[in-house]
Amino acid sequence: MSDALRRFDRAVADALTAADPVTALREAATGDWPPELRDALAAAAEQEDGVRLTALLVVKLRFERLVQGSRRAGEWFDRDAKDFTEAFRRYHAAVPPTATEPRGEAELFERWCGTQGAGD
Amino acid sequence: MVPVGLTLQPEEAYLDALAPLLDEDADYYEVAPETLWRRDAAGALVPNGFHKLFLERRERTGRPFVAHGVGLSLGTSDDDDPARLLAWLNRIRDDHRRFEFAWYTDHLGATTLDGRALTLPVPLPMTPQMAARVRTRLTHLQTVVPDVGFENAVFYFLFGRPLDEPAFFRAILTEPRMHLLLDLHNVYTMGRNFDFDPNDYVDRLDLSRVIEIHISGGSDSEPAWLPSRSTMRLDSHDGPVPEPVWALLERVVPRCPGLRGVTLERMEGTVEAGDTALLREEVRRAKRIAAA
Repeated sequence: MSDALRRFDRAVADALTAADPVTALREAATGDWPPELRDALAAAAEQEDGVRLTALLVVKLRFERLVQGSRRAGEWFDRDAKDFTEAFRRYHAAVPPTATEPRGEAELFERWCGTQGAGD
Repeated sequence: MVPVGLTLQPEEAYLDALAPLLDEDADYYEVAPETLWRRDAAGALVPNGFHKLFLERRERTGRPFVAHGVGLSLGTSDDDDPARLLAWLNRIRDDHRRFEFAWYTDHLGATTLDGRALTLPVPLPMTPQMAARVRTRLTHLQTVVPDVGFENAVFYFLFGRPLDEPAFFRAILTEPRMHLLLDLHNVYTMGRNFDFDPNDYVDRLDLSRVIEIHISGGSDSEPAWLPSRSTMRLDSHDGPVPEPVWALLERVVPRCPGLRGVTLERMEGTVEAGDTALLREEVRRAKRIAAA
């Protein structure tokens, strides 16, 4: 069961950082789960607005963490909000949110920018 | 008489605007310990400038501090973040030595899952295995602060039914000195979003476990945020306490024999100088109810 719970954690984290969190949860619910975890995923996937709002807030908090921690991100946002927002969207899709604090988020962003030639 | 406290937010504008209220009306202060930390060049968690400021307030006023965090992530497996957990517990231990927290709570939920920082507490499957996982995290915290607990969080979706949450709480809170922080605005918000009567939720709780009550206000999400154009009430702590939350407070306080504080919460960035009078009246109204 503890292994199933760990897989459940991964499925939820995948869904809440996916571009389409509802579809991701629905697909996760079709996996091989103990009955109570399969029911839990299926129940959540039916709550479309709540799942989408949660995923949106996860992204919003990451955005704020980045702008707080990275001078480059903050200046880019001030200079061209639309361009930065598009870059952030690509960054969020490409880089898992493994940093819990602004400084760590800034380091992840700097590394990603280095691979993209972005933000200069 | 149950004391009434206020949140201390690490923001100069907040502290300036509410200075008279904080100095004259608050019986105790609540802080989110992790907002008083920063990482040094070596990556270690160390106190930031507000840490010192709040310690000075403690020494000046002599009033108690309680801790209410968001980042310990009670729903995270110990196997997932042993290094982070150890660093946090060590940092909390040092803070507790200085602030002497009367109790320490965090939000029920997971802010970190599978190594990913979601930051917002997300819901947990309400299974016996998850109850044991949360209890284990609380047990770790009890090695630092003897009285610990969790707050009923606001979730925008659930892995089950909202009125099953109180039974899940009972399954977690089986050990001595493990408590519930009952956030009445969260109950009200969940009731609005999931269409249930908050009184039904409260009636299912083991109120003997309640150590603290939170009251606050909130607002609704924007229609543009969701493809359905629907709105949901948010746990945003950015406005007056709604009347239904006051009614819940009046109903619940007499039924919580272990209640040690009622805290009025307000988020940084939401307070202007003109709000002081409103917040003072809210503190006084809470005191009248807590004294009844």
